[in-house]
Amino acid sequence: MGRRRQRVDPAAGARAGALPEAIAALSRSLPSGPSPEIFRRAKFDRPEATSALWQLLFRVLSPLPAGNALASLALEVQARLVKSALCSQGYPRLALAQLPEDGSQGSRELLLALSWLLARGPVPEQMLAQARVPLGDEMTVCQCEALASPGPPAPHMEAEGPVDVRHVQWLMGKLRFRWRQLVSSQQEQCALLSKIHLYTRGCHSDQSLSHLSVTEAEMLRDPEGGQQLLRTLERENQRLEAVLAWRRSELVFWRWMDTVLGTCAPEVPAAASQPTFLPWVPEHGGGELDLVVRELQALEEELRAAAERRRAAWEAKAGGCGRGPEWSAARRASREAVEKELGALQQCWEQDGGPAQPHGPHRLVRREDGAAGDRDLRAAVVIRTLRSQEACLEAVLRRLQGQCRQELARLVGALPGLIWIPPPGR
Amino acid sequence: MLPADCSRRLVTELQGALDACAQRQLQLEQSLRVCRRLLRAWEPTGTRALKPPPGPETNEEDPLPACTPSPQDLKELEFLTQALEKAVRVRRGITKAGERDKAPSLKSRSIVTSSGTTASAPPQSPGQAGGHASDTRPTKGLRQTTVPAKGHPERRLLSVGDRTRVGMGARAPRPGAGLRDQQMAPSAAPQAPEAFTLKEKGHLLRLPAAFRKAASQNSSLWAQLSSTQTSDSMDAAAAKTQFLQNMQRASGGPQPRLSAVEVEAEAGRLRKACSLLRLRMREELSAAPMDWMQEYRCLLTLEGLQAMVGQCLHRLQELRAAVAEQPPRPCPVGRPPGASPFCGGRAEPAWSPQLLVYSSTQELQTLAALKLRVAVLDQQIHLEKVLMAELLPLVSATQPRGPPWLALCRAVHSLLCEGGARVLTILRDEPAV
Repeated sequence: MGRRRQRVDPAAGARAGALPEAIAALSRSLPSGPSPEIFRRAKFDRPEATSALWQLLFRVLSPLPAGNALASLALEVQARLVKSALCSQGYPRLALAQLPEDGSQGSRELLLALSWLLARGPVPEQMLAQARVPLGDEMTVCQCEALASPGPPAPHMEAEGPVDVRHVQWLMGKLRFRWRQLVSSQQEQCALLSKIHLYTRGCHSDQSLSHLSVTEAEMLRDPEGGQQLLRTLERENQRLEAVLAWRRSELVFWRWMDTVLGTCAPEVPAAASQPTFLPWVPEHGGGELDLVVRELQALEEELRAAAERRRAAWEAKAGGCGRGPEWSAARRASREAVEKELGALQQCWEQDGGPAQPHGPHRLVRREDGAAGDRDLRAAVVIRTLRSQEACLEAVLRRLQGQCRQELARLVGALPGLIWIPPPGR
Repeated sequence: MLPADCSRRLVTELQGALDACAQRQLQLEQSLRVCRRLLRAWEPTGTRALKPPPGPETNEEDPLPACTPSPQDLKELEFLTQALEKAVRVRRGITKAGERDKAPSLKSRSIVTSSGTTASAPPQSPGQAGGHASDTRPTKGLRQTTVPAKGHPERRLLSVGDRTRVGMGARAPRPGAGLRDQQMAPSAAPQAPEAFTLKEKGHLLRLPAAFRKAASQNSSLWAQLSSTQTSDSMDAAAAKTQFLQNMQRASGGPQPRLSAVEVEAEAGRLRKACSLLRLRMREELSAAPMDWMQEYRCLLTLEGLQAMVGQCLHRLQELRAAVAEQPPRPCPVGRPPGASPFCGGRAEPAWSPQLLVYSSTQELQTLAALKLRVAVLDQQIHLEKVLMAELLPLVSATQPRGPPWLALCRAVHSLLCEGGARVLTILRDEPAV
């Protein structure tokens, strides 16, 4: 691995070991992180450090949790995906897109890319949270990944040619069946979970939990699995300690990265950028925006019609009223109140969803009395919220279906000689 | 037939929804398997360590105790055992009352295994235990070729406390290969105590010490992480910002324009805006104003909402222009870890999970059912919008309006207005001339 020389960087902390410590903590905190030596070599743009950094960037940027399938992708493929992902996040440097994908050069560029990601977000914590060992039975409260589509569709689903509308109907029926299946499976799972919680009450060392979770019970039933769980847990603890050490010492790292950036020649803005193009990635972007535009346009129409009506009615009624000072004061007060209300409404979507909304998984705990601490959620409260969400969504769906009914009636109404018998109501 | 590109889009969309459901179903089924196994009688650790004597038929079986036979294997072995025992019974005639008594328990045991209903599991255990001990005797010769998953004399149940302690550390005393030959010995006579079930003895379980220590360390470390997260050192934050600015300055890429991720996030926010504005509009339109002051406010609100919608549309046009002018950029392979499209994206997740307290099975089921219902409604609404966008133009554009068009109308009506659940009927009303 070469002799490790302790270089005292004058810009770094007073202690001579601060930078290597920081880099070591960083490398321990990342999953299969490269050794600190790799970082050092990358500063000097050594080729041998390149492939390790490509792989690390791939791990960091890949949206799916690390699986063997992903790790076995060839280096070229990983490199291409890294470029694409960085590009879509708005990575500013052009040199990255132009790096060869065989891992023969560019380690300094990759080091810069890694630091860019680290500076933008809490990467080690996020990766740790992704790979966290769930010790309890967890349920997410927010709708983040309730029925999220699993990434890009399998390639064989593409381009099947024109289909009959009956095929679409059949797919819809299949989907409805799967929904019903999910409902019944989930009911069963909840019943079993509740039983397990009930039977193991009083077992947990942690008083606030009081019963075991499925993972913990499973560990007792299957000691070998339990050993594995324990080992994974200990590994996670080690990584947590590394992340804490990294947070304490990262200042030194950033100063060092500034010097690394300094050794690169500043880039010249290119006249025409050369993007890398991945043909098999599904297109999103445009379609999504179009849907939203259509919705907003429809809403605008409705609002315009309603506002015009009201304005006309108002003018007719109040036009004849006096224009005394108290009248205009009242109008000004109303205007201000409305502005404030609408401003608050705007905050609802401009801000990040509101801090009160709990995010992330919650550990299920069964308590007969349903008592909960301050930070804990109570099921009854969540149920209320969900019921109102459900009502809201049902209203939206009914409205859309009503719109379709009207539109279809309009389209077919012109035809004589036909009787349309609607299906029996629910 | 639908046009090719329309077909492709519809099929892709529906298939995506189907795949998402299939994935969730898989997760549920995995969880169900684990839960059912936990609620059945637990196999003592002793048996798992035992493997049949090294023989020709055991080459393919893994002799390492670390390999637990999967539930599938156990099920198959049960069936095999059952078949063999039946063969013995048939041979010995059906006069033996013992076998007849044991047979139903053996049969019902395997029924329990295959259907996984938990209700029958607890009452089985005494029957099971009784069944095993005497089963082993008649099938003495046959047992040796099958993995003795059940009914082994080594299945003396350590007290539960011992079991858990032993379970974590050393293996349960593993009888040597020599014991195989004696497995049918009279040591089978002392009736093995009932198998361990969660229902009866669950409250006696205790977590092993090593695990407790690791778990508490884990939760305290996560808590430390959350607190350092919120009070990030000012210097480090400043250093990071400085670095990012330096990067931007030294780079050839154009000034920060919108990345694809940001466009997506913004589109999501505007979608949310649309639904909130619509909700507010409904409220205003349905409220009955009492006096002129309220009427005036209502009017102002509606006009204000209209202006806001205009602003959102304007923003969307900007986004569209930004997306269009960029050279065909590669789309994101997926979202970077931690970013979520629905929950505001930048909300700081609490790193260690908080508790969600429920008080009865009914409540938990209601909660889970509602969550699923909301997710399904979300999916349904999205599909409805996609179908509307694809199919309505088709219906209006198709000429001539002959019978195939009527069939299309019927199908479209069913899909769009009834969620695919019901179909209307079209009657041709011939003029009586």
